[in-house]
Amino acid sequence: MNDNIDLSLLSGVLDEYAAVKGSLITILQHTQDIYGYLPKEAIELISERTGIATSEIMGVGTFYTQFRFEPVGKYLIMLCQGTACHVNGSELILQTIKDELGIDDGQTTEDGLFSLKCVACLGCCSLSPVMMVNEDTYGSLTPDKTKKILKELREAAV
Amino acid sequence: MINLTINGKAIQAPEGATILEAARANGIDIPTLCYDKAVEIYGACGLCVVEAEGIPKLLRSCSAKCTEGMVINTESDRVVQSRKIAMELLMSAHDGDCVAPCQLNCPARTDCQGYVGLIANGEYDSAIKLIKNKIPLPASIGRVCPHPCEKACRRKNVEEPINIAQLKAFAADIDLNKDSYLPDVMVRTGKKVAIIGGGPAGLTAAYYLNIMGHSVTVYDMMEKMGGMLRYGIPQYRLPKEVLDKEIAIIEKSGVKLVNNVKLGKDFTIESLKTENDAVIVAVGAWQSSSMRTPGEDLEGVYGGIDFLRAVIKGNPPEIGERVAICGGGNTAMDACRTAVRLGAKEVYVIYRRTRAEMPADALEIDEAEEEGVIYKFLTNPISFNGENGKLKSVTLQIMELGEPDASGRRRPVPVEGKTEEIPLDSVILAIGQKLVQGDVSELQLNERGNIEADPDWFTTNMDGVFAIGDATNRGASIAIEAIGEADRCAKAVDAYLNNQKMDTRVPYISKRDEATIDYSDRKKEARKTPRVLAPEVRNKNFDEVSLGFTEEEAKEEASRCLECGCREYYKCKLLNVAQRYDIDPSRFQGEMPQQYTHDANAFIERNTAKCILCGLCVRSCREVMDIHALGLMGRGFTTEPSPAFALPLDQTKCNNCGLCVQLCPTGALTEKANLKKQVPLNEEYTEVKVEIDDQQASLLVSRYNGKILRVIPNDEISRNANLTREQLLAKLQ
Amino acid sequence: MRIVIGQGSCGIAAGAEKVRQALLKENINASVAGCIGMCYLEPIVDIYDEDKLTRLVKVSESDAPAIAEYINTGDRSKIENLVVSDEDSEFLNKQTRIALRNCGIINPEKIEEYIEKDGYTALKSCLTEKTPEEVIEIIKTSGLAGRGGAGFPTWFKWNAARQSEGEEKYLICNADEGDPGAFMDRAVIESDPHNLIEGMLIGAYAIGAKHAVVYVRAEYPLAIKRLKNALEQAREKGIIGNNIFGTDFSCDFMIKAGAGAFVCGEETALIESLEGHRGMPRLKPPFPAQSGFWRKPSNINNVETFANVAWIINNGGEAFAAMGTEGSKGTKVFAVTGKVKRSGLVEIPMGKTLRDVIFDIGGGMKSDKPFKAVQMGGPSGGCIPASLIDTVIDYKALGATGAIMGSGGMVVMDESTCMVGMAKFFLDFTAKESCGKCVHCRIGTKRMLEMLERITKGEGKEGDIELLEELCYAIKDGALCGLGQTAPNPVLTTIKYFRDEYEAHIKDKKCPAGECSDLIEYSINAEKCKGCTLCARNCPVEAISGTVKNPHVINIDKCIKCGKCYSICRFDAVVKA
Repeated sequence: MNDNIDLSLLSGVLDEYAAVKGSLITILQHTQDIYGYLPKEAIELISERTGIATSEIMGVGTFYTQFRFEPVGKYLIMLCQGTACHVNGSELILQTIKDELGIDDGQTTEDGLFSLKCVACLGCCSLSPVMMVNEDTYGSLTPDKTKKILKELREAAV
Repeated sequence: MINLTINGKAIQAPEGATILEAARANGIDIPTLCYDKAVEIYGACGLCVVEAEGIPKLLRSCSAKCTEGMVINTESDRVVQSRKIAMELLMSAHDGDCVAPCQLNCPARTDCQGYVGLIANGEYDSAIKLIKNKIPLPASIGRVCPHPCEKACRRKNVEEPINIAQLKAFAADIDLNKDSYLPDVMVRTGKKVAIIGGGPAGLTAAYYLNIMGHSVTVYDMMEKMGGMLRYGIPQYRLPKEVLDKEIAIIEKSGVKLVNNVKLGKDFTIESLKTENDAVIVAVGAWQSSSMRTPGEDLEGVYGGIDFLRAVIKGNPPEIGERVAICGGGNTAMDACRTAVRLGAKEVYVIYRRTRAEMPADALEIDEAEEEGVIYKFLTNPISFNGENGKLKSVTLQIMELGEPDASGRRRPVPVEGKTEEIPLDSVILAIGQKLVQGDVSELQLNERGNIEADPDWFTTNMDGVFAIGDATNRGASIAIEAIGEADRCAKAVDAYLNNQKMDTRVPYISKRDEATIDYSDRKKEARKTPRVLAPEVRNKNFDEVSLGFTEEEAKEEASRCLECGCREYYKCKLLNVAQRYDIDPSRFQGEMPQQYTHDANAFIERNTAKCILCGLCVRSCREVMDIHALGLMGRGFTTEPSPAFALPLDQTKCNNCGLCVQLCPTGALTEKANLKKQVPLNEEYTEVKVEIDDQQASLLVSRYNGKILRVIPNDEISRNANLTREQLLAKLQ
Repeated sequence: MRIVIGQGSCGIAAGAEKVRQALLKENINASVAGCIGMCYLEPIVDIYDEDKLTRLVKVSESDAPAIAEYINTGDRSKIENLVVSDEDSEFLNKQTRIALRNCGIINPEKIEEYIEKDGYTALKSCLTEKTPEEVIEIIKTSGLAGRGGAGFPTWFKWNAARQSEGEEKYLICNADEGDPGAFMDRAVIESDPHNLIEGMLIGAYAIGAKHAVVYVRAEYPLAIKRLKNALEQAREKGIIGNNIFGTDFSCDFMIKAGAGAFVCGEETALIESLEGHRGMPRLKPPFPAQSGFWRKPSNINNVETFANVAWIINNGGEAFAAMGTEGSKGTKVFAVTGKVKRSGLVEIPMGKTLRDVIFDIGGGMKSDKPFKAVQMGGPSGGCIPASLIDTVIDYKALGATGAIMGSGGMVVMDESTCMVGMAKFFLDFTAKESCGKCVHCRIGTKRMLEMLERITKGEGKEGDIELLEELCYAIKDGALCGLGQTAPNPVLTTIKYFRDEYEAHIKDKKCPAGECSDLIEYSINAEKCKGCTLCARNCPVEAISGTVKNPHVINIDKCIKCGKCYSICRFDAVVKA
């Protein structure tokens, strides 16, 4: 699938930041915005343009949880792991999502529809338990509500 | 200059100096694992912590600067506790074997992996030297040892263990058939040691004490030295010519041997003690054990070792045509196979359990059967029946296996009312042997009737008198057990003679969890055994059954070794620090952060399972070399130093300068030695100056027994010269 | 009439934007505000008629016509049920708001609304009337201390950075709010970004920095958007850039988005991250005040700290110091969540008690189960038990319990929360967030987590508590940075106050709170069971059998302990033990 990485999409970002010291994380964030993840080819290009070794770039990329190295599904489910969510039963929601989709944290369903990621506190503690799917936040989740949301998303995708 | 106090000692340090620098400049050692002058201070390992008066937090001495009037303690209880836990945590996540399991399971701690590896490389002289660090009778032991090493050998999980014992015999035979290796002995101390008993225990203690510079005399009651090796093991298994040669080397090395003198008749322990500075009692266990079966006093009933001794001395008893041997150990095997060779027509082995439970070596069991021995498993003699005082038959109780007993073996229980009678001419009882107690009446015995000796120090109730081997504590065991005791006893006696204390604490070493080891990537290669005489040939004479390995066979067999023990064992900084503290990492046993790997190029082998994340490899590659071949990947517990995209080193800008390997405090990175098969060896490192591009450059050269094993760039010029190891080696010649 | 809809992240998540769209369809153009902090009542629509406020809560799209009717005709009848109750109003009335003073009131996307509330007057007075030393003196008088967790006096840090030699200095705002359970910083940026900018500019002036940097979590996209917008507007007005207010003070501004690493809340790790590196803490000394961002003198404060600064300048250090206790001055914002009835942001003067926050303002427990403990300070803090509910909110007093003030996360727990599970939750967090640099934190937190996992699975053994304690103290002593040094606190405080709960797990293999699924069993009380079959029909693994109107039975071998039957039963017939 990496054959069709269009590296020209990166030129704007690199023109703006390649020479600005300390910009590696910013460049990687933009790169992920473009491709949905950090393709190897993009990292090599970033290395070439910034002069930062690929080992250092990968070191940074793998340090921060925001970065991904594989494409994600159409829906990226980010399940909040905050304290309030924990106290209000996020564990049960996680189990529900795992059971419904048959994937673990960090995995993508075979049909490429859903990716699941447990994330640090989303800061919507009063609505706990909370998950975000792409840009949308869903709060006060129960197992049934979660199943319903997943079902709706799946239907919307077809 | 700044004035400060470290551990009560007033010292001065230059402005800007760290506490670590000040301490080391004054001979005060503070352990570190992530610190090196070559790179920036990092502060990860937490071992360099010290306590400063008036400062509530522990200070990392690698970064904390000296200040005027500072009062530092580098060894306070709090500091030691902090380091201890740091080491326990580190070792709980360090997946590696310092020492191979074969060596650990050898009662004498013989470096099996070392000599097997050297044999694989054809380095036979080095191999025999290494073996003789622990065993002075390797040709004999190689032939007779039941090899606990092979039981621990992990190759068994691939197919079968390495034939370690036969490899030892192979290397030792080469040595015996040429100008044999003689150990360097130390300057004479003038101390005298007498050893009673010239068996494996006595001879071994004598050999090592002599090397340590003491004058040693061995006294033995028999006409020749060797003890049970000579009088308890048949010729076809251990030709006495081999034993003679090995004893001759011991004698040549300086040990005095006196035969035909008997304790209690010609001398007493006390009398020897007055003439010597120390006495070691190694008299062995020379009395066959009784089965307490009715009829044992009949004519035709013999003790196992008595029978073997009589045959070896050239006057075998009349055993007739039908012979039964009671017992399932190696003595029983020796007895039955000897009986076959004496011409008995029907030879039975009576054993109350099954073949699977027999303590004898499997090969012996098979070979005996090939020679015509008939096994009577699950039988137990209930009476020896005679006529006119002479044995006529044995009545056997038929047994079956019940519940497992304390040893884990299933306990044989009689089958009610089922018996069998076999007509016999003679019976040989090979069920054990014990100390002849009257010989050692001067010494205190334990409840088993053996000499009571301290398990660490081998001391007895008499001052200056030590005891080892079959005669002591738990009684008779295998030769290598006695040899191991003798080696340790020699050190204890040496300490005693020098009025020193000896550290008997077993130093900590790292061991892998056997259950987690994956062998699926190993190619199967069958175990090799030396050719043997055909059964129909060998059962008629006492010629040695085994024909020994050919050189080709030996090398191939030795090459099967999985190399379990760590190559960095001898210079591992991590282990060195770990052994300084009384650690128990099992308290924190848990998941390992990395998979055990075998990633290697021509020079460097990486195994991140052993990595302790000191970061020195990544940092030196970045800060010193500006190559960035390695980076830290991931975060937290599973952080791993690795090239980008997990590429092999060869696909990075790595120029094999070896700096990362040099700085690695443990075995996560190792430099390959100039050997086909890699072996952990105690190499000697020296710095050598050579010319590279008209500039003087430094190389680090390692040698083992004179052979150059590694050439490592050792300064900026040599590291940046991009020369191969062969080119560097050429610079030396 | 002016219609305002609270549109903080959680308001939007609760449906605020949908309500705004629905009102638009009724031709009502509501303006945007940030978050008022009454999170449990979101979405909230405020209707101002002159100065009279009608506050509607838990509004949904379908309420739009009724609201429109009220606005157009004044007929309140259809919205009466939406009007906030007097009781709920107390949630706000009992607070004293300084840092949050404009939150949920002004439009965060319009600088004019901030300026209308005396915005940027403090900055102007500093630049034109006060020397940097005088500014520092005012902050000193106020007693303001770092609101990010450690509670270090702000003036002291500013002074150290001011005293540090060097032309280039940096003022950094730590908006990497990582404590799972705290969200006041997000609320401030989303709701009142200019207040932050003003506080930062005053700080920059005080220390002599020409560069200001905000390091904000990438997980807060709305905050980043509104902050960017605010910076844009401030730049247009000449409040950021060269010669601010015509003085010779110049300061540029930069936003850096974090990329997901809790440890970057630690100031040296934050600096590493700002420079584009892995966020691994540096050894201290040198401290950032001497050698920070790009090895230049740098000062780092958190959002809430800066949010107090403009108010202090305008009202005087004394006014701020008049609130609070001997050692803790001013107000503190808490994010009150968990099993509490009214959850949200609470700003109160220091010196109040935990009871004031949890019961008086928070309204006590949501359920009928008794209050058990409150977790303060997140992964670096600890659990304070019910018996200490009257503890005064004060750095020292809270510290004495073993917890910390922290950034203000206050997670309330009732009897159904397992305290060993709570400790495990936080260790899971710190173990995942450990940067991996130092041994004590990297391996120590992992081993603690493994021990806690074993204990909650019923595999704990005698001596585990003591071993945990030993490891805790060693990690506190040996870890390199604050993350590791404080990681044991959740374990130590739960052992201190709930040791019997640990022992129950270890010795009796029981979880008293009934939360550890490996240690509980469900059964049906035959006397209470009416045979309604509801549980049997809802059991995901068909572990419940029985016929209509007869008591049902749970097959323990099949049961996966999901708790569905327990929560669904209408007769309390399912027993958890």
